[in-house]
Amino acid sequence: MPPYDDWNKIDEDEDDELQDASHLESKKDVILFCIDCSESMLELREDPTNADAQTCHAYVALESAMQIQKKKVIVGPSDAVGILLFNTTRKAETSRNQGSEIKKNCFVYQPIAPLSAPKIQELIQLLDAFREDPGELRKNFPPLSDGKRVAMGDVFTSCNWVLRDGAPKTASKRVFLITDEDNPHSGTGNKQLVTSARTTLIDLTQAGVGVEPFFISTPEKPFDVSKFYSSVLLPNNLVDEDDVDPDDPSVLPESISISRIEDLLDQMRFHEVPKRAQFSIPFELANGLSIGVKGYGLVAEQKKGAYKYFVDLGERMEIATVRTTYVDEDRQAEIEKPKMVFGMDVGAAGDDNDESGTRVVKPGQRPFYTAEDIRSFRTLGREPGLKLLGFKDRSELRFEDNIKHSQFIYPDETTYAGSKRTFSALLKSMIKKKKMGLVLSLTRRNASPVFCALLPQEERVDEAGWTDPAGFHLIPLPFADDIRAAPVEKGCRASESVKDAARAWIDKLSVKNGAYPPDSYPNPALAFHNAQLQATAFGEEFDIDSFEDLTAPKVDMIHKRAGKLLEAWKIAVANDENALSVPVEKAEKAKGTKRKADADVSEAEIRSRYSEGNLKKLTVEQLKTFLKSKGQQSSGKKADLLERVEEYLTSN
Amino acid sequence: MAKVRTHDPEGNELLQEMTNLQWGLQFVKLKIQEMIFNGRKTDQCGVIIFGSDKTRNILSKGGYDRVEEYIPIAQPNAGTLAKLDALEPSGEAGDPLDGLIVAIHTQDVHLGSKRTWTRKVVLVTDGENPIEVEDLQQTIKKINELEIGVTIVGIDFDDDDEFPYEEEDKTHIKAENESFYARLVEELNNGVLGTCALALRETMRPDIKLTKSTLMGTTLRLGDPDSRPEEAMEINIKTSKCTALNRPKSWKKFGVREKPTREDKAKNKDADEEMEVDEPEEEGDSKKVTFVQLKMRTEYYVDRRDHNSDDEGDVKMEEPEKEPEIEEDGEEAPTNKLDPALEQVDKEELIRGFKYGTTYVPCPDGQFGRLPTKKGIEICGFFLAKNFRRELCLGEVQYVWGDPSQPEQEVAISSIAQAMYEKDAMAIARWVSKDGMDAKMGVLAPCIADGVDCLLWVGMPFADDVRKYTFASLDKLISKKGEVLAEHAYIPNEKQLEAMDNFVDAMDLMDAGEKDEEGNRGPWFDPLQSYNPAIHRIKQAQFHAAVVSDLTNNPLPPPHPELLKYFEPPRRVLKRARDAIEECKTEFKVKQVPKKVARARKDGHVHARDDDGDMLLLDMKPPTRTQSVSQSPSKIDVTVTASPSGKGKAVEPNNSDTEDSDDDMPAAKPKPSTPPAKKNSHSHNPLPTPARSLSPEIDPARAPGRIIGVTRPLADFKANIARGDMVSKAVEDLGAVITEIVLRPFANRRNTELMECLETLRDTCLKEDEIDAWNTFIKDLRDKCAFEPGNPQFWGEVKKAGRKLSLISDKEAEENGGASSISESKAEKVRL
Repeated sequence: MPPYDDWNKIDEDEDDELQDASHLESKKDVILFCIDCSESMLELREDPTNADAQTCHAYVALESAMQIQKKKVIVGPSDAVGILLFNTTRKAETSRNQGSEIKKNCFVYQPIAPLSAPKIQELIQLLDAFREDPGELRKNFPPLSDGKRVAMGDVFTSCNWVLRDGAPKTASKRVFLITDEDNPHSGTGNKQLVTSARTTLIDLTQAGVGVEPFFISTPEKPFDVSKFYSSVLLPNNLVDEDDVDPDDPSVLPESISISRIEDLLDQMRFHEVPKRAQFSIPFELANGLSIGVKGYGLVAEQKKGAYKYFVDLGERMEIATVRTTYVDEDRQAEIEKPKMVFGMDVGAAGDDNDESGTRVVKPGQRPFYTAEDIRSFRTLGREPGLKLLGFKDRSELRFEDNIKHSQFIYPDETTYAGSKRTFSALLKSMIKKKKMGLVLSLTRRNASPVFCALLPQEERVDEAGWTDPAGFHLIPLPFADDIRAAPVEKGCRASESVKDAARAWIDKLSVKNGAYPPDSYPNPALAFHNAQLQATAFGEEFDIDSFEDLTAPKVDMIHKRAGKLLEAWKIAVANDENALSVPVEKAEKAKGTKRKADADVSEAEIRSRYSEGNLKKLTVEQLKTFLKSKGQQSSGKKADLLERVEEYLTSN
Repeated sequence: MAKVRTHDPEGNELLQEMTNLQWGLQFVKLKIQEMIFNGRKTDQCGVIIFGSDKTRNILSKGGYDRVEEYIPIAQPNAGTLAKLDALEPSGEAGDPLDGLIVAIHTQDVHLGSKRTWTRKVVLVTDGENPIEVEDLQQTIKKINELEIGVTIVGIDFDDDDEFPYEEEDKTHIKAENESFYARLVEELNNGVLGTCALALRETMRPDIKLTKSTLMGTTLRLGDPDSRPEEAMEINIKTSKCTALNRPKSWKKFGVREKPTREDKAKNKDADEEMEVDEPEEEGDSKKVTFVQLKMRTEYYVDRRDHNSDDEGDVKMEEPEKEPEIEEDGEEAPTNKLDPALEQVDKEELIRGFKYGTTYVPCPDGQFGRLPTKKGIEICGFFLAKNFRRELCLGEVQYVWGDPSQPEQEVAISSIAQAMYEKDAMAIARWVSKDGMDAKMGVLAPCIADGVDCLLWVGMPFADDVRKYTFASLDKLISKKGEVLAEHAYIPNEKQLEAMDNFVDAMDLMDAGEKDEEGNRGPWFDPLQSYNPAIHRIKQAQFHAAVVSDLTNNPLPPPHPELLKYFEPPRRVLKRARDAIEECKTEFKVKQVPKKVARARKDGHVHARDDDGDMLLLDMKPPTRTQSVSQSPSKIDVTVTASPSGKGKAVEPNNSDTEDSDDDMPAAKPKPSTPPAKKNSHSHNPLPTPARSLSPEIDPARAPGRIIGVTRPLADFKANIARGDMVSKAVEDLGAVITEIVLRPFANRRNTELMECLETLRDTCLKEDEIDAWNTFIKDLRDKCAFEPGNPQFWGEVKKAGRKLSLISDKEAEENGGASSISESKAEKVRL
């Protein structure tokens, strides 16, 4: 959708719900890619996708980082990214130096900075250079020799410093750690190095930085977490301190990705967006029995970025700050927000009302509501929370009872101890009994209560290694106010034989065990927009031909599998007795408007007239209707129409 | 109508005395307000009053005295309501039939040629006046001829149906009149009689504004009609909305119009002599308050200063973060305070473009070229309905009909719908609403209704729309040793599972609904009966405010019970579940966790002490927490609430309920006794007393936000370290406290204690990996001691202590598993 001007100035009152988590989205995200550059990471190997080319782990890691940068720059234009390499002897040139020096054998390739086209291009050039000459990476970042490795403690400390210098305070900060070495400290002094790694990692997390490890595992060199990392990694990344139980630190962090090098980018994509809860509220199962839950948005429409206004200052473009004020138009006086009161439209301006849009009362009288009143009307005085109303059969949730996307809820042990076990038991029981819950939900202070279906989801791991998490989907149900009546109550129905003809091709076009695959459908309009945005930013020409719309139906496959069956079905439809015997009054009723009643003539009649050779007696209207019903062009003079009808009838 | 009433018919005392006239007018005003609300040009009304002290109506030549055409028929507005407010009861008796006849004629004349308009007459009366029934039959005939709907609203009329009520001490004449009206209504083709109280209540009953969805024509395609038309399918279809999100009608913003100040007036006088003539009127005016509807104005500002792009982002980002919070809280905040460096610019000067990171991408059209698309719905394939993931559905649902004017098209859709239904399949379908519009992906499902077969379409997410977050498994807890734990506090045990099973069974709603004709109970809750409480409550509030002039004396009545009927589980279900609920409470032992203390950042106290600007950030979101912070609700929490900032932007910590934080749990609710933190001028000021008194156990010598007090710093510190929580905070606070004491007069009295503190602090820093904190602190202490008001003497003591209190070196650090940027030699050499 092109953002209309008017859409940019959202009236905050009516659209509180629309905005949803928009202010959350605006929170900045900072990622520091921390990439191992040791011998094994730089070791050249065959490129599985291109037989002639060579690749190495470090290259794949850098390329993934580049892809993530490309994605992030569009999704969060204010996000910042940096790249730190370790186990390399490359030293920082003074010009690139950071505020603090960095540990030996760690190298800041890109300091933390907001994303920009030059920054991404720099990385792309490096990757291109490698493809030209596979020695390029080794030349740029010579690895530590003789199997020596930098202490992981030093790596974490370096990360800490780099982030401290570059990342804004309020941003969510994460380190993407990419390595293939499961035992970096195999030699002597191992124990101390482990301790130091752990303490520096704690330091890092206390500075608000989460570490998300991506471990590369190959058949020759499988990655064993227990060798080193399980004793170092913290129970969780503390960006989201969901699951930390101080009494039981024995549980491993929830996100350790051990993957094949080919899947590295996919794994990173899972973590590309920092996990942020949209709400944290109590869930009242019954009076006196509440647990804590957090809500996450797992589906949300990703829209094109809205354009901004810039001012040309000569040497640079400066973004303009937009400010909305409310004024008394007659007096041109601005009224401040706290002084505003609320009421409703005073109606169509009357003639006797010389000053329209005003209301005059005696002093001390209060004809309008305060912002506080308004909120209480919207929430009906309720506090945020979920309230269970009871359980219904899963089948009670109908397809058409949808109005808004769902949210996902997961227990929050930090607000109510015992939430997890209660939540887990409820989930199991509902899955077992094939039930869904009915809840009254008010997720935010300025939202309004809605009834939601609570759909349990069992934990499941798919082939790609992605896990469907255990939890509930919170699906908002439409209110009576949202449900529209069906405007058509009677219609021609197909006979059994036509239905069977349709069934034939539907069978052919069904994917066995198929489902709607969101992952296979990247938004073409968004991708098209972003590709042009990127090309313009890079100063390149946008190549429209290279763009592929992956959502377009695979027509060749459809014709190959079902073409003949479709043809047979079309004939069956055309000869369906229900369709041929057009009840005249039905045609009239269907569109009781200005259309002439005789515009509709059944195909049978047209065919008989055709064989008798007096098609000409039909009106233009009738011809058009017929052509339209056959999906033919219906414009032009009567002669054209006649020609087209004849053409159609001969070929069908 | 002049009778003053103090109670409503149900016996509830009215907040304000009102006359029967005012009581009855409430109904009239609500009805008129509804017309204003709907804003249709074809909703018009007028008001005829009988028993007026004037006679002015179109029939006044032929009798009909004391009937006045008070408001001519027109589309109503706020002025209509104001006029009604001005009505006062007269001492005259009026004949309702006279009024009715005048109304019929006035209406008939007004409508003249407009035959199709619906005619309604509403008669409001207390039934206390005699009625002349002479021309009755003729009037009835006329009413029926003109197909007028007549509603008679009687004040305190008896009712025994929906609103059981019987007036005590009813006058004879009123009783007579009531039975007359009952007979009158009988004879009318379209007449209703009701008591005013019921009528008032019914105006508040939620009603659904029926919106007929328009049918939009498009094409359903399968295959490629261009290259293989004989094999490809193209069906003419109509789509219409099945669900459409409805929102409450928006509020309009109003403000008090400022009186012109004396200077303004003076100025005006100079400019315009005539003003003097107006003076007396102005005086009269000043006793009134004028509220004016506000208009929105958008302004654009630019900062022309040169600055690096780095913090540009920072500045920009803060706005959207702050806005909603202020919005949510309604806190008094200086609105839109502008940076003085910003300069307003005309919209014409602005260029549209996008941000690509920090790179500016011009795009004067506001959008790039679009992907060419062709209008229609295209089927991509089919899958079995059992694999459909209901939770992925994005939004509103659409009907897809075969074109109702083309039976063949209907048959085509019907055959597909039936075949899909039979197979229990759904289709993946791509929708383009207009040529060139962005495509949307979705799913088509069959819908077999009584008289027609159709399809339903709902949008499904693109790859870009799905977020894949990782969540810890609820069942599979793996210990560090790699073992799967079978028992854990997170995993429910057998007894708990059983308790939950009982609970789920007991709370079942499938048999909790109303009984059907055969006496079987159906499921409880039906979306078709569930009104959006916000929409109807807001509408009620808007109506109410429009018809009363003072909300303090005449507050909004409670919501209609129909709105709240699904807010509680059905009583019989709760009764059935009582034991199961108790069992769950005992088994699961869920306990609310006391509100966690927000851990201040490492350098938190620096901000707390001097920098108002940064304090703002600290206020908004306590930025970092640790896993180990769990402390009774007190101290820091309170500080955050109360920490004022120079800008006066006090933002309560619990307003960030959409943040990923724990701020918004009930425990964090500001106690009613706590005044909202406001304009304390300096953050060093003590807390507002009520907040302080909430936690009397706080060491009085602890500065707000600190967990270490100046009275017994060492003891406080040790206690904290022993608990093992908030080490960083403790370290940082002890450092701050030491500095504070050292710089006080007579600090040397506490020298021994302070040295002890320093040693403990260094030791802790070394062991707890707070090395950087120590090194920073000790350098800072040196500087502070050296400058005014310093304490060089104390620093001498520290130096004497030597290595015991020196910087922590890397060697030392490493021995203790930490890291330091200070080399051993440097630590040894540098005597600070």
